Amino acid sequence: MSRTGPPPRGTAVAGHPRGGVGTLVRLRVRGFVRTGRALAPLLTALVALGVLYGGGQAPAGEAYGVSAVVLFPILAWQSALLLDVEPDTQRRLARLALGRPHREWVAGLAAAALTGLGLVALALAVPWPLAGIRGPQAPGEPSLALGAALGVWAHLLALPPAVALGALASRAVTRRVAVGLTVLVAGGVATLVLGLRDSALPWLGPPVMAVARAAAGRPEAGTVAALTLHALLWTLAATAGYAALRRSRS
Amino acid sequence: MVVRVRLENVWLRYARRGQWALRGVDAAVEPGTAVVVAGRNGAGKSTLLQVAAGVLRPTRGAVRDRPVVVGWVPERFPAHQPLDLREYLTAMGRLRGLSRRAAEAAERGWSERLGLAPYRGVRLPALSKGTAQKVGLAQALLVPPGLLVLDEPWEGLDADARDLVPELVAEVRAAGGSVLVSDHRGETARLPGAARWTVAEGALAAAPAPATGWVVEVGVPGPDPAGAVAALRAAGHEVLRVRRAAG
Repeated sequence: MSRTGPPPRGTAVAGHPRGGVGTLVRLRVRGFVRTGRALAPLLTALVALGVLYGGGQAPAGEAYGVSAVVLFPILAWQSALLLDVEPDTQRRLARLALGRPHREWVAGLAAAALTGLGLVALALAVPWPLAGIRGPQAPGEPSLALGAALGVWAHLLALPPAVALGALASRAVTRRVAVGLTVLVAGGVATLVLGLRDSALPWLGPPVMAVARAAAGRPEAGTVAALTLHALLWTLAATAGYAALRRSRS
Repeated sequence: MVVRVRLENVWLRYARRGQWALRGVDAAVEPGTAVVVAGRNGAGKSTLLQVAAGVLRPTRGAVRDRPVVVGWVPERFPAHQPLDLREYLTAMGRLRGLSRRAAEAAERGWSERLGLAPYRGVRLPALSKGTAQKVGLAQALLVPPGLLVLDEPWEGLDADARDLVPELVAEVRAAGGSVLVSDHRGETARLPGAARWTVAEGALAAAPAPATGWVVEVGVPGPDPAGAVAALRAAGHEVLRVRRAAG
């Protein structure tokens, strides 16, 4: 073992490293994949989508809308799994290294969103080889292009709230697996129930169900804007809650 | 920039209605000094170290003027990660804001210095406990810290590495940084001139009264007095000084 003194010159003294956030994102995604934890949600999504599209064809908007609803709890689960890969002590070391506490959890959310985008891409691609999507067959039905575009919109609106729900169910917040599971299941069920057509409190949950209903038809621009705003505001509120909980819990 | 790290009326508990792990801690660490944090198991030493480092946030009170760069060596390095040693230390250097090239150079330098070079391609879970502890040491020093916090740093280290810890502490102090270190094994006798905090039931106990009675100089055979120091302290004696025998 060398005793030649401090490390080599040329190592710059770190200030507050913005580049470190990108490194942590890559590290977490890599850890999620290398530990094999990515397999369970991936296989679950494939099975669910296989069942969804195995029963016959549907118009693009309708099929993708249901797909987004089915994918929502899987995306939330995947986000929680990714955030839980890192040992608690390493999470604290990373937070210290980054210099500002919020950088660490922002990197976690970004990593979860990145892997979520992968699952979304899969969900958008799966129906085609399975011939699960058809073009319009009756007058007035939305075109394939419109349906596909609405389908992409439905999936992209499901992702941010799912990541936020998964974060709230992660070990850094809940500290125990059973509590995390309860948060995930309760959040998923509440999203479905609150999103039912005659729900009295639809704004309390993310608009996953409302978006699916809109994607099956020809929604007006105002409806698309309102549902997009609802999804983003819900995500913002859930993320603010997550940030507050992370401030008080290491 | 070197600053005086201050803990101001720090209280901490882990759960809303839980017991207080730290109670009204007021303390300061001067630049260029080392502080040994002593106390029984469960007294709150690790908690105090983690609050000082910024790993834990106090329930009440605050830590002021913590330096920009803080190195924390946890009691147990989290080796259960799907990276090899080189990847891990390089990534930690990047998290601290080093460029890729600088991070790789820092990783190589510290791997060499701590005897980790043969293990650079080994996955962290496959490392021995002592080797993993050295990785914990290295990640805290990739960028020279203004505050270095070491929680039982000698645990699991071989003799060479144990000798290196006081050297590393001296380097940080010489650069104006502060050092907080806890230890059960009496190894802190190797840190001459270090101040001493004693933690008892979450509070900093008053400094012990000067010894009254007798002072007995004891000769300890062998190269390492740490065991003898630990035994004397465990028996309730106050160890005033450790020095090499002349000749």
